[in-house]
Amino acid sequence: MNTFVRNARVLRRMTVADIVQQSIYRGAWIIFMAANICVPIISLLIWRTAIANGAGLPVDEQYITTYFVLLSFVTMATSSWMTGFLADDIRLGKLSRWMVRPASLLLGFVSNNLSEKFLKAFALGPMIGVLWWIFRASMKIPAGPGRWAVFAVSVVLAAVLVFTIDILIGALAFWMDDVAALAQARLIIASVLSGSVVPLALMPDWSRTFVDYQPFRYTVSFPVEIVAGGLSGSDLLVGLGIQLAYVLGFGVIARRVWSAGIRAYSAVGA
Amino acid sequence: MNAISDVPSTQPPVIAARDLTKTYTFHQQRAGLGGALTSLVRRKYETRLAVDRISFGIERGEVVGLLGPNGAGKTTTLKMLSGLLYTTSGDLEVLGFTPSDRKHDYLRRIALVMGQKSMLWWDIPAMESLLLHKDMYGLDKDEFEHNVAELAELLDVQDLLNIQVRKVSLGERMKLELMAALVHGPEILFLDEPTIGLDVVAKARVRSFLAEVNKLRGTTILVTSHDMDDIEALCSRVMIIDHGRLQYDGSLDELVRTTRPRKLVRATYATVVDGHRLTSLDGVGAVESSGQRVSLEVDRERTGDVLEQLTRLGPLVDLDVADADVEDIMRDLFARRSTSEEAS
Repeated sequence: MNTFVRNARVLRRMTVADIVQQSIYRGAWIIFMAANICVPIISLLIWRTAIANGAGLPVDEQYITTYFVLLSFVTMATSSWMTGFLADDIRLGKLSRWMVRPASLLLGFVSNNLSEKFLKAFALGPMIGVLWWIFRASMKIPAGPGRWAVFAVSVVLAAVLVFTIDILIGALAFWMDDVAALAQARLIIASVLSGSVVPLALMPDWSRTFVDYQPFRYTVSFPVEIVAGGLSGSDLLVGLGIQLAYVLGFGVIARRVWSAGIRAYSAVGA
Repeated sequence: MNAISDVPSTQPPVIAARDLTKTYTFHQQRAGLGGALTSLVRRKYETRLAVDRISFGIERGEVVGLLGPNGAGKTTTLKMLSGLLYTTSGDLEVLGFTPSDRKHDYLRRIALVMGQKSMLWWDIPAMESLLLHKDMYGLDKDEFEHNVAELAELLDVQDLLNIQVRKVSLGERMKLELMAALVHGPEILFLDEPTIGLDVVAKARVRSFLAEVNKLRGTTILVTSHDMDDIEALCSRVMIIDHGRLQYDGSLDELVRTTRPRKLVRATYATVVDGHRLTSLDGVGAVESSGQRVSLEVDRERTGDVLEQLTRLGPLVDLDVADADVEDIMRDLFARRSTSEEAS
């Protein structure tokens, strides 16, 4: 059996097992998901109220509505909770149980991520559907399939980028006693710079160049902007190129940090 | 029961270690707020020598016990052998591989069971973990089903395979851990405290299972344990590690003979006897006599003569001749080293 087929089977099996395992705590899951969708809904209502009260924004109500409804989906599709789990596995020596088995350690992380997304889709899908239906009249979405196809590609790249940054931060636990503070700092910075709280279109002009080219834009905002509007054809191509470059760049760094970390691993308590 | 396999001497060892060394770096921190604040601005790093230039070879099919007090370096050695840790220096080859490379073909041929760490998914039935191993180790359906059936029967866990792992007892979980570790038929099995926390019945079951696996499959087993009964039941050879150095490598019998050359004889009589009369006999060491019981240490070659004398002491009810208790030997051995180090 070649390596690819074996790894694909292992990934499938692990993803199923992860889903089975995570679905045991269904009550906690639903509450967690409901809490997650609250942020975009509240932001949407605040910005719509601001526009209704005559706030002078560089975008209209249709853009804001489309942005936040799509945001709830993109956030779900691209988010990852690997950092904490990975750091714990390293710090407490739990990584050992995967290291002695003949499969890429990455498979465990990917399956965890996929199972998370599967269950999220299960819980969040209906919630987003309701949201879409409520605000459908105020949304402006592209008619043709072209933008949706680019959107799909960009969401996948964004998910890989978030996942890679997660691995990179989690892997620092090979050297640091606790990466929780770092993970929290990243979360706060990312929530602003990714466009999860405030659309990046509302950022001041003087910060435009920085905002447009920093990596967090490509984890959430850029895919949303593809559908919500405001990007020309050339903007799309440049954006996708930058997004791909970030995925490759962070991938290379994460791989190097990981390889160095494995050498420093002390398998504490295992 | 000793599990000893016939090993052709021409075969290269499956495990070959030369000057194996491992150091750890860590920082020290004083207890309390002062210590915590000091450590924020200045940390004192130290390097600890966990394994110090040990060399050994293990032949295919051997069952070897790795013994030593806590912190001696035995688990670190096991981690290096299984590929979890990089060596700091020295040469290490297992089945022709450098373990830390963690090549697929190497990991496919070994297994590690850690008594205090579960390899199974906690919230789902053990069968899910076994099926994962089926895919991970590339087992075909027939091979997998045969191995599962064989191991389940040997371990008597047929009824446990579809129960959530967290719902089974510790002893049952350890059986399932062993099953998961052996379902792919590894050539080498590394065991770290496999019977820790188990009751006597579960321990006996695990030991007899491991002996059976060694006998049936010729699996090489390297086991660390603080339970000397594990070692006596399983190991034809022991390696004693202390302060990271290999202090002894040989058979358990030889260790007993060299450290406690005398036999222990315990006799029980129907009436009160005076065992101290035996003190003057040749080859008799310490004698304890109390009421109807007499205990004495006797030179091996003089055991027959002394037993004859014991029968003349009074009406004999029970007689027991044994080597010194391995547990006692180990305790003395480690305590002696620790005392001599403190003195020096």
